[in-house]
Amino acid sequence: MKKLLRLLPLLFILLLLITYSSAKPITIKVWYPDELGVKPKYVDKAAEDFRKAFPNVNLEVTRYKIPSGDFLTKLLLAIDAKEAPDVFHIGGTLMPEFVDAGYIRPLTAYLVKWEDWKHYPKSIKDAVRYKGHYYTIPYGLDVRWLYYRKDIFEKAGLPVDWKPKGWDDILNTALKIKNSVPNVIPYVIYAGVAGAGGTVNHGYVPLLYGVKGVAYDVKSGKYVIETSAVKKVLDFYKKAFIDLKLVPQEVLTLPKPWTTMREKLGAGELAILFEGGWVYGGWVTRYGLENVEKTIGYTLMPSEKGAPYFTVGGLGTCWYISSQSKNPDLAWEFIKRFNTREIVAKINIEDPHPVARLDSAELPEFKGIKYLYDCTQILAQAKFEPMAPGISKFGNRVQLMTGRVASGEMSPDEALRKFIEEMRMDFGEVIVK
Amino acid sequence: MKILVSIIFLFMIIFFGVPFLWLYFSAFDKEASAFIKFPNFTLSNFIEVFREYNFTRYLVNSSFVATITMILTVLIVAISSYSISRIKWKYKNAFLYSLLLLHSIPLSTTMVPIYGIMRILRLRNSYLGLILIYTAMQLPFLIWLMKGFFDTIPEELEEASWIDGCSFFKGLFKVILPVSLPGILVVSVLSFLGAWGESMLILILVDSEKMKTVPLIFYEAMRTVGGYMEVRYELVSSFAILFQIPVMILFILSRKLLAVSIIPGVER
Amino acid sequence: MRRRKFLILGILPAIFLMTFLFVLPSLWGIYSSFTNMALLGKEAANFRFLGLENYIKLFKDSSFYTSFVNTIYFVVGSALIGQFLLGLIIALLIDYAEKKKIPGRGIVYGIVLLAWINPTLIAGFQWSAMYDYYYGTLNKFLNLLGIQKINWLGTMPMLSVIVANIWRGTAFTMLIWLSALKTVPLELYEASKIDGANAFNRFRYITVPILRDIITVNLIQITMATMGAFLLIWAITSGGPGLKTTTLSLFAYRTAFEAYRLGYGSAIAVIMLIINLVFGIIYIRLFRRR
Repeated sequence: MKKLLRLLPLLFILLLLITYSSAKPITIKVWYPDELGVKPKYVDKAAEDFRKAFPNVNLEVTRYKIPSGDFLTKLLLAIDAKEAPDVFHIGGTLMPEFVDAGYIRPLTAYLVKWEDWKHYPKSIKDAVRYKGHYYTIPYGLDVRWLYYRKDIFEKAGLPVDWKPKGWDDILNTALKIKNSVPNVIPYVIYAGVAGAGGTVNHGYVPLLYGVKGVAYDVKSGKYVIETSAVKKVLDFYKKAFIDLKLVPQEVLTLPKPWTTMREKLGAGELAILFEGGWVYGGWVTRYGLENVEKTIGYTLMPSEKGAPYFTVGGLGTCWYISSQSKNPDLAWEFIKRFNTREIVAKINIEDPHPVARLDSAELPEFKGIKYLYDCTQILAQAKFEPMAPGISKFGNRVQLMTGRVASGEMSPDEALRKFIEEMRMDFGEVIVK
Repeated sequence: MKILVSIIFLFMIIFFGVPFLWLYFSAFDKEASAFIKFPNFTLSNFIEVFREYNFTRYLVNSSFVATITMILTVLIVAISSYSISRIKWKYKNAFLYSLLLLHSIPLSTTMVPIYGIMRILRLRNSYLGLILIYTAMQLPFLIWLMKGFFDTIPEELEEASWIDGCSFFKGLFKVILPVSLPGILVVSVLSFLGAWGESMLILILVDSEKMKTVPLIFYEAMRTVGGYMEVRYELVSSFAILFQIPVMILFILSRKLLAVSIIPGVER
Repeated sequence: MRRRKFLILGILPAIFLMTFLFVLPSLWGIYSSFTNMALLGKEAANFRFLGLENYIKLFKDSSFYTSFVNTIYFVVGSALIGQFLLGLIIALLIDYAEKKKIPGRGIVYGIVLLAWINPTLIAGFQWSAMYDYYYGTLNKFLNLLGIQKINWLGTMPMLSVIVANIWRGTAFTMLIWLSALKTVPLELYEASKIDGANAFNRFRYITVPILRDIITVNLIQITMATMGAFLLIWAITSGGPGLKTTTLSLFAYRTAFEAYRLGYGSAIAVIMLIINLVFGIIYIRLFRRR
């Protein structure tokens, strides 16, 4: 009996511990990268709504002020250590690889019950479906433009309302600028490893689509290399970088060529640049809308011989639920509260992107902005970025290939041969035609 | 000949000096660029580093890691190098040379495996892991160094104290410690600097916001500050200077001691 | 006898920690180099053994050869030629200046040393600013001289990182030579002066033989350190343009932490380890002979 009495305090402590641990509130962790400072406002709004609805849940939102590539590494390491956040925010193109790795949870069960899902067009629903499931909800889509400086065009005696009649027209226009306007970079298209994602989605892919090329065959689940199409793309690179010397070699060597080139176009030191639609907003904040409208024009990317004109669309960045999440239902509640009509409209007004939710585009404050209206209009002409497993390896090989041609290290033929060889090494079987 | 030497000296001073001059000018300038120019003197960059980037926290983190590493390293180095110096052992030489071999392998070679092992041991994002690895990384060279130091202290010294009736440890403490103080000082400085400046493993071992150290935050600043459009050289330069200052101070304070001992070392 | 026990006990913590840092990772590296370990994609979900597949792939991988050749260029250029020669010259000049009381030697000594103790990442930052194409210090200087600006990191990336690495690492050789020069017995010099040997011959026939061992040890040390250089190149070019400045260290890092292929990255690390061990053993043999 005495023995038992002595044990009593111990039991008491044990009991305390048990009640304490069971009363510990559920925590939902949300991670997202943001360098610019646009997103936090809206993420916080969603978080606030969430906390109102679930006062007992501890919601931990972390903003990482780092480039998205660094964020990806950080996230993967955390997932690997089984310390993944419940909800995270990464590029839409990464979805297949995340699914294949077993890192994310399908949202299908939530989406069929979510009444707002009907506001999303079929094309977008299809884009986020992989292996029979929906995995995310895009909110701000990416479009890309061929930007050009109207003031430089004027100086060169070119029409300010530009609609290039094919690739040759781009090169010829740039050549004219090179010959008539000094101290201006005529044209930039990204190439090489330094260009990172820009080399793929702002360089190689728009050109490939311009000759009706494809990168990946969904049916067989294999990468495709159409030699004649790729050859044409590489010939274009060779002309632009080597033969006509329109694009400066620094594009291949600057540590972050896109920051410099965006800056240069904004400052009027660069005439033509194919870039993301989101860059426009950066210029507007810096130089004011009126100035930008006056000096910077944007147009669709032409195919090799002109029509069809198109843009390269992307899903932007989106929220995902980690498969490690112990409370996916609550994680979904957060994602839902971010993808409201209001937030989707407002965040895309501030950081101009076309919206994925059609009813958001109907809001008058969204409709009233010409640039956004234009962006939303061209969605119909959007060809989406290739989405496939192993896309980063593919991108890396594309960077190497374009870099080899653009630096003059290899001829298009040699670079293509090497590309096929490397793609086979990475993916085993590749369809070459 | 004298003039020729002076001219070469001048060139050397320009070659080695300009990058530093640029760094110091930029950090104290309102708007620096990649071009060296005389600054519009201001301290606002440093103020911004502390206010906007929460630098105090990283300073505390770094000092903590470096100090604990230093203490642990000094303890282990002192004990083990004394033991190695005094022990009679068939494989002693082999052991010493394998230390030298370990020391000569650059860290970047073992970087990926180190990441792998720390991942398994759950020592990523942990100061314990960081401190252990920083200590271990410096042991081979410092033990080699310190063992040479103990070798110069005659064994009769401590033996005399034991004959006088001191216990084993008391003898060491009273007799050996005082004479080996300069060596211990060198080991302290080198181990502190090693932990303070290490910026390769920290890239792969730490990503938790709370645990970042000065080198890591400098690296991130270098990569990201300015973000979308341009590099903010003046801000990154002030990060650099804050990162560099302790190294310089410690080095200058102890350069007489270090100059003698640092020579056989390979920088990592 | 009891003392011996204490002494053995005293070595143990050091052995334990070094096992933890050097032996375990090496074993893990060898093990994982036989697997498809990855952080992303299908491989992340389906861990399996590949046997020698990674190594076979590696030897077929042109990027591996490129990085290997780059490593050789980098080591020969920045360590064997650059740091060694410059370090030697500076040491000889400072030694000479000390004897002739030429001013400026203190500053040279200090500033060379400063570049060495400076954290490597900062050196990378400083040099990327020097080399910046549009606004960089080097090109602005050229501008002032009326010379066309040069795309340093584009047209001569390897040379650029080599120069930066010479800048950063010369002090080590300088220090070794400065202390070595003091150990050359002066009487020999005096004797040779009487014999009428000129300065070069004195250096060639008296200084060099005495210092031969120091030279070899020095060379191997800077070779190994340079082979392992990572941060400097990483900060200046990240291995680019293309793969032009990607050495083996960068190749391993990129494979493991940018392509997220840990198994393949380990295979590269294992190859590097073997190369380093070979060098290390040569180094120790020479060291022992001394």
